[in-house]
Amino acid sequence: MIIKNDPEQIQNYLSDASNYKGFAESVYIPETEAEIIQLLKIFNKNKIKATVTGNGTGLTGARVPEGGVVISLEKMNRVLKLNSEEKYLLVQPAVILKDLQNFVESKNLFYPPDPTERNCFIGATVATNASGARTFKYGATRDFILSLRIILPDGEIISIERGKHFASQLKALLKTESGKEISFTLPRYKMPNTKNASGYFCKENMDLIDMFIGSEGTLGIITEIKLKLIEIPKNVLSCVAFFSDEADALKFIDEARSTSLQKFKQPLFTNNPLNARALEFFDVNALNFLRQDYPNIPDNAQAAVWFEQDFDKDEDIVMNNWIELLKEHNCDEELVWLALDKNEQEKFHEFRHAISWKVNEFITLRNLKKVGTDTAVPAIQFNSFYNWLKKKVTQANLNYVIYGHFGNCHPHLNMLPRDEEEYQKAKAIYARICEEAVRLGGTISAEHGIGKLKRDYLLKMYGEGVIKEMAQLKLIFDPHKILNVGNIFDEKFLGTT
Amino acid sequence: MKIAVCVSHVPDTAAKINIGSDGISIDPSGVTYVVNPYDEFAIEEALKSKEKFGGETVAISLGGDANKETLRKALAMGIDNAVLLKDSGYRDSLSVSKALAEEIKAQGAELVFFGKQSVDFDNSVVGQLTAELLGYNCISVAVSFVLDGNKIICEREIEGGKEVVETNLPAVITAQKGLNEPRYASLKGIMAAKKKEIIEKIPAAATNYVEVLTMKKPASKQAGKIIGTDASAVPELIRLLREEAKVI
Ligand SMILES: Cc1cc2nc3c(=O)[nH]c(=O)nc-3n(C[C@H](O)[C@H](O)[C@H](O)COP(=O)(O)OP(=O)(O)OC[C@H]3O[C@@H](n4cnc5c(N)ncnc54)[C@H](O)[C@@H]3O)c2cc1C
Repeated sequence: MIIKNDPEQIQNYLSDASNYKGFAESVYIPETEAEIIQLLKIFNKNKIKATVTGNGTGLTGARVPEGGVVISLEKMNRVLKLNSEEKYLLVQPAVILKDLQNFVESKNLFYPPDPTERNCFIGATVATNASGARTFKYGATRDFILSLRIILPDGEIISIERGKHFASQLKALLKTESGKEISFTLPRYKMPNTKNASGYFCKENMDLIDMFIGSEGTLGIITEIKLKLIEIPKNVLSCVAFFSDEADALKFIDEARSTSLQKFKQPLFTNNPLNARALEFFDVNALNFLRQDYPNIPDNAQAAVWFEQDFDKDEDIVMNNWIELLKEHNCDEELVWLALDKNEQEKFHEFRHAISWKVNEFITLRNLKKVGTDTAVPAIQFNSFYNWLKKKVTQANLNYVIYGHFGNCHPHLNMLPRDEEEYQKAKAIYARICEEAVRLGGTISAEHGIGKLKRDYLLKMYGEGVIKEMAQLKLIFDPHKILNVGNIFDEKFLGTT
Repeated sequence: MKIAVCVSHVPDTAAKINIGSDGISIDPSGVTYVVNPYDEFAIEEALKSKEKFGGETVAISLGGDANKETLRKALAMGIDNAVLLKDSGYRDSLSVSKALAEEIKAQGAELVFFGKQSVDFDNSVVGQLTAELLGYNCISVAVSFVLDGNKIICEREIEGGKEVVETNLPAVITAQKGLNEPRYASLKGIMAAKKKEIIEKIPAAATNYVEVLTMKKPASKQAGKIIGTDASAVPELIRLLREEAKVI
């Protein structure tokens, strides 16, 4: 195990892509599960706070320590087993998502969850229930977790397989490997009916593995993950379509979304196989941000949609269906980029990644904090929500860009304040947007999680009563309050004893 | 005006290359092939020239059936016609140029674009040889291209700067990165390309003056050395970089 104490050497562990900065005394880099257990036992006994870190690409400060020590899993980065017959992959937590996907694809298998930033640790994607463009068709990380091994703050081990341990109503019981029984009651609340990464996953009679997925390291450290794989799609249609009117782009997405969602429910209905796996949107400001690097963006483009569909056969029919839909919404087919091979598909993915990345760079260079929404709302509310938030930010005279996973009704509005005054204004709008999303039955965070930067909004989303119940749940697993304290809710909810 | 663009089908630069069992060719198994990256600039310039001046574009590729994929891409990007000079045997650069020159002559193309080099064998001479065989003017490594009537003005990239040169049609231009931003194929383009036929022709037999004797892989890298993990290792690192690696 490597231990770093030199302030210079631990610098890199003290912030994440949100630019939120923290502090810690040392960084421990265990190489085995046994070392993690040994560490946690010591920290637990001495009540030393420990923050687990992935690759630091998070946008909520979740991995940023506020004192105590950091445990970095970077050395636990091995693929343990690939079973092509049963289609699963067993991995340690620090395998980089992009490498993992390239590896399984080289074996003609496929792991769909694709957060835009793929330079992250697989374990962290489980801890945050990451999702991405393809979540529209395939679901979030949660839907691909078959089993987990978790080390609890007291060093006990829980091995949990999907489909084996269910809550009875809200009552739950888990057994550790040493036979210790943990019985507890789940918090009672209704989760939004959208893609969601806000707080613990809780509902009656749930599979208890889901409680750990998306728990942001507050319940235990994930040391082994069994992932479900699927067969690699035979063909992928990947296009970026440009529209000279934003309203057309939004209507195009609407129709593609509802047609595709019907298809998912009726797998045998393949006569009209328009069946998107991803529907991503870029507004004109996002396109302007990208123009310098992508001079081919048409001059009159006011919006763009990157869409993908995977299919086995009938390429011509698939393409013609899309062409029809594009034409119906006034998109000139000559202005639709098409990826001819895997390299070009990657380039479109990079086009999408570039906008998130450039916005982050813009903010970091100016030493500002990003004011970016991660809200999602139910589909029927989406267009009015979008128009409402756009009006809000335009009226406030702020610079902004909007892009995001519009298939999942999940826009990222990034406000780009030029100074402190604008920053405060942006924050006020941000709070209003979260409120409105919740009012419409949506969520304040669909994919990035809560971390330390969105706790106040989660509090508003669920109210103090629910947050206290969440804190109680954490205390069951972490009575000494040592692990990832400060994520999801403020430490004060854990009480003073 | 008839505009030709010559395209080659090469291993993806990210591909891991192994030498074939004959020792003089590469083992194609597991290697993905792509349009030679410099040829994409050539295709784009051919398309832009047609958009400006009208006329017709044709893409020409010499090789086996696999090259059709590269020709399809050229068609999908908007090239009008495609010709495959079918010959999968070994050819040296001169022999490739002879076959291409014959076809360019048959097509009656006055303006011809190439990539500045093919990233498989890196000979960087096919464009120039072809121009010579055709008796055309030639500007190589172009980073800008302007056609005005019969006159061509190009900027060429040279060591430490740029050179502005002028010539007349008919001409061969070899494209360098920076000449333009190649477009993506459009959905419309791919549907149109599907309907187009790739014309196959058999080129005159090869007469090679250069023979490949053997292929060798570069010596594999030696394992790295960890000298230390904190600042105390820096003096030793500097000493090794200076005395052993001799890079500073
Ligand atoms: C440009 C950009 C685009 C992004 N796009 C997306 C997107 O499309 N979708 C999306 O979901 N996210 C996105 N993100 C956010 C981020 O990439 C994800 O949240 C990712 O899952 C974080 O991975 P990481 O390895 O960097 O984790 P970190 O930021 O280091 O940590 C994240 C959290 O996971 C916990 N953790 C890490 N490993 C473990 C473990 N083994 N056990 C328990 N807890 C652990 C940490 O304590 C922390 O709470 C984006 C970020 C950037 C910068």
